[in-house]
Amino acid sequence: MNRKTFSIGGIHPADSKFAADRPIEVLPLPDKVYVSMSQCLGAPSKPIVAVGDKVLAGQVLAEPGGFIGAFVHSPVSGTVKAIGPGKDLAGNRITQIEIDVEGDEWAPGIDLSPELVTELPDDRQVILDKIKAAGVVGLGGATFPTHVKLNPAPPAKAEALLINGSECEPFLTSDYRLMLERPSEIVVGAALMQKALGGPVCYICIEDNKPKAIESMQKAIDSLPYKDILVQPLKKKYPQGGEKQLIDAVMHRQVKSGALPISEGAVVQNATTSFAVYEAVQKNKPLVSNIMTITGNCLPVESQHNCLFRIGVPLSFIAEWAGGVPEKAAKIISGGPMMGKAIANLDAATVKGSSSLLYLSEEVTRRRPEQQCIRCGRCSDACPMGLEPFLLNKLYLAGGREEELEKNAAQDCIECGCCLYSCPAGIPLLDNVRQAKVQVMGIIRARAAAAKAAAEAAKNKN
Amino acid sequence: MAKSYIVSGNPHWHSPASTQKIMLDVIIALCPAVLVSFLFYGWSAILTMAVSVASCVLLEWAITKYLLRKSSTIGDLSAVVTGILLGMNLPSGISWWIIVIGALVAIGVAKMSFGGIGQNVFNPAITGRVFLLISFPAQMTTWPVPHGFIQSVDAFSGATLLGKVKELGAASVADLDYLHTFLVNIGGSAGEISALALLAGWIYLCCRGVVKPWITLSIFATVAIVAAIFHAADPAQFTGPLFNLLTGGVILGACFMATDYVTSPMADWGGVLYGFGIGFIVMMIRYFGSYPEGMSFAILLMNMTVPLINMAFHHKKYGR
Amino acid sequence: MTDTIIWTIVILAGLGLLLALLLYFIAQKFKVVEDPRIDEVEKALPGANCGGCGYAGCRDFAATSVNDEGLTRHFCPVGGNEVMKKVSAILGYTIEEKAPQVAVLRCNGSCEVRPVVNEYDGVKSCKVKASLYSGDTMCPYGCLGCGDCVAACRFGALAMDPATGLPVVDETKCTACGACVKACPKNLIELRNKGPRGMRMVVECRNNDKGPAARKACGNACIGCGICVKTCTHDAIVLENNLAYIDFTKCKLCRECEAVCPTGAIHGINFPKPLDKDAVKARIAERNKAAAAAKAAAAATAVKPEAKEEAK
Repeated sequence: MNRKTFSIGGIHPADSKFAADRPIEVLPLPDKVYVSMSQCLGAPSKPIVAVGDKVLAGQVLAEPGGFIGAFVHSPVSGTVKAIGPGKDLAGNRITQIEIDVEGDEWAPGIDLSPELVTELPDDRQVILDKIKAAGVVGLGGATFPTHVKLNPAPPAKAEALLINGSECEPFLTSDYRLMLERPSEIVVGAALMQKALGGPVCYICIEDNKPKAIESMQKAIDSLPYKDILVQPLKKKYPQGGEKQLIDAVMHRQVKSGALPISEGAVVQNATTSFAVYEAVQKNKPLVSNIMTITGNCLPVESQHNCLFRIGVPLSFIAEWAGGVPEKAAKIISGGPMMGKAIANLDAATVKGSSSLLYLSEEVTRRRPEQQCIRCGRCSDACPMGLEPFLLNKLYLAGGREEELEKNAAQDCIECGCCLYSCPAGIPLLDNVRQAKVQVMGIIRARAAAAKAAAEAAKNKN
Repeated sequence: MAKSYIVSGNPHWHSPASTQKIMLDVIIALCPAVLVSFLFYGWSAILTMAVSVASCVLLEWAITKYLLRKSSTIGDLSAVVTGILLGMNLPSGISWWIIVIGALVAIGVAKMSFGGIGQNVFNPAITGRVFLLISFPAQMTTWPVPHGFIQSVDAFSGATLLGKVKELGAASVADLDYLHTFLVNIGGSAGEISALALLAGWIYLCCRGVVKPWITLSIFATVAIVAAIFHAADPAQFTGPLFNLLTGGVILGACFMATDYVTSPMADWGGVLYGFGIGFIVMMIRYFGSYPEGMSFAILLMNMTVPLINMAFHHKKYGR
Repeated sequence: MTDTIIWTIVILAGLGLLLALLLYFIAQKFKVVEDPRIDEVEKALPGANCGGCGYAGCRDFAATSVNDEGLTRHFCPVGGNEVMKKVSAILGYTIEEKAPQVAVLRCNGSCEVRPVVNEYDGVKSCKVKASLYSGDTMCPYGCLGCGDCVAACRFGALAMDPATGLPVVDETKCTACGACVKACPKNLIELRNKGPRGMRMVVECRNNDKGPAARKACGNACIGCGICVKTCTHDAIVLENNLAYIDFTKCKLCRECEAVCPTGAIHGINFPKPLDKDAVKARIAERNKAAAAAKAAAAATAVKPEAKEEAK
């Protein structure tokens, strides 16, 4: 099949998938887990248990804090020790539920058997309700609640469901391992989402640097009875896995600035999300575990792991389990080297979106001293959104140039990091462009609010 | 945590590209042309370039240290590139003090007074050359006879082909051996001898992704088309496309001077327009101007339009 | 020859006259009538264009103040009362005097008391740093030390102290324009009344954590123990979210809170003498003893009326 890729910009960082051949291991349970209430995009969840309550694994701990929000379930069985302030991996304050682990007893109704259930529910509402009840969120990084995305407000209609297995970030291998080890479950999950969306074509998008995954997924599709599910190989290029880039690559359509992918008839879901959907609908198992890659450039291959962890396990516990933080590590990152977040607090607990523990050594991760821009244009050549980061950087530093920033589309930045990656002068482009984006979003929001107020006032007059 | 770890925004690693490496690539790309000038003009060509490089680097160092009181920027090798390019644009064996004056104008006036690398409006090496051309016309147009290791038999001594055309008309070069001119073009600046060597360097830069080919190709195309039209109209008065491509500074300018990052447009189509401007102006100067060659002037003139071109041409944005 | 000269002069003079007339009529036609008081007010203003008043520069301040009814919405923090007196004289209003203010940093987490657990590598900007994580130390509320406030100050009144890693306010230069208040992503800078002869009391901390966590993060943190609230006889201190705050309008500068604060989070600024903690503590102890005795006496006498009331 022909390999596709997105049309604007992109870079080719070194693959570095050292942990690709490490099978998924199951992480042992720690003594304590800390379940964060801020695990998805949107409002924090509201706890519905009290201190001292006995909880079972898979039991609901908290309910959504708003329309865009998700249920949070207990990853273990034990006693709620405290509900109070904790720190996330950036050191910022969050509310978390501390649970003393007492065994691994699951809530009734959850099917833990390994058998594949291929029979799909008849009603799409059943699928959506089960996904919502299981607290499934997008596991590709943005942690947007999946049931909201799978239920677009009419008249928008999905024409294609893209299962994102491109895993374009260097180092990360968790999606890859899952595609090798549990391909059938991913396909059933895709079929479920396809049904929930009213039967659009489903493409499972995989970059061509993972031929084994392509083969494995193709085999699973062939052995299962679903219609309109295809494997779509893609040329390796970062950021292929970006929602907008994937839509451009596969469907040759571009989402308008400020619009949602559904406006172009596309719904993008991560391969791991598809697996979580399978477990939620077919097995009644809520999202309480995820797969994490423990990797890095200063870690021997035998110390690299892919592990199935319970959400809420402290990062430091996982690091210890994998053999401790390597001596040469200068930066610990949750996520890939391009878009991951640097961990400021290793004692923080894992959340639904945690996908890796990446150790980078001083020489690759330290920022280079900033030099003057030589106007080589590499940043704008690399930008997958076609922006001109050098210009946005200049306008931001000049201060008070929000209108010009908006005209030059600072708000379209997807923070993929291509500009800063490719800058030969080591100029901290993304650091500044991100701030510029915040400023522009501020004026856009203020304008929308003003327009709304004016409309309201006009209404009241009449 | 016993050890403190680094925290910063994404991305957490970066490409190996650096200003220094880019400049090193340019220096490597210039090597074939430097070698050819050494073969033809011997040590005097090397000496000219050495003086030029040394004075450029020293001047930049002195200016950053004593005038601007900033950390030195000579480590990025951009002054070395300017020095080589300036040296290549001078007749080999020119007096050393003229070279130093050229370097002073190139680095001091054209580069550092605008704020150093990345801030200059005009290409430093060309500014230096044009200043010398206007100030010392006699010395700057006295081309030495090759006295190096290879001595071309039919060498033009003391005049360039373009100079000959200006004086004697287009017919005087009608029976030119173009293959020979492509390989060896004697009579001119030290760096202009071999089109082949210059093109080899340019192709290296393109392959390494240092420059994009659009500006250079646009200049070549414009020069060829303009020359073809005029030549077809009156072959006796106007020289043909091949002659105009191979002689003078078109190849050196198009490959190494017009593609200077700072003084050329950022967007691809902007680069095409910029190249068209240079090609058109150089042909107008050659056909109708009083100078036999106009590459330097053409590039300087188009340098001025770059901010405007940058305003008009942008990258294609996603979803817009 | 002379003809040429004369004609040249005549034509040029005529052309000049014609164009001058044209300009005159255009200027008349497009004349903008402006209240002359705007210029007057602008002249009276300091002309720093800092935006501390909330308007876009001094001209905007002048224009809006002229068109406004009264001066309640306008105050120039840079010029202070003197300038406002002039402005009100021009516009014919009377205004109340405002107490002069100064920027005060509400963090005292200097390098030696705040253990560093992370190292920042990126743009030297608090705003950027704050968007990434909580800071290099265990205190997620404290100063980030990148100096956004220093960069925001137009009067050179702020400078980073390399020894403490915190900004220092030069009170003689600070005009209380509030630019630094807006620049600080952690909201650590507050405009407070300068106080008599510059003397004032400040809780130099914004940590909302409970005692042990705050203490672990920073040796100078307010741990929310509330001793200062109990000690204060002027009702000037409130404790909210494990953090004490001194209301500068109520504080009488007795310095008792400073003496009893176990972590040294409360600071008296610009007092002529250093604080004799033991003497103040002794004074408080004596007063408490007296109060306890009075209370006991009152309790003894109050037993009967209370009993009566209950009987009712």
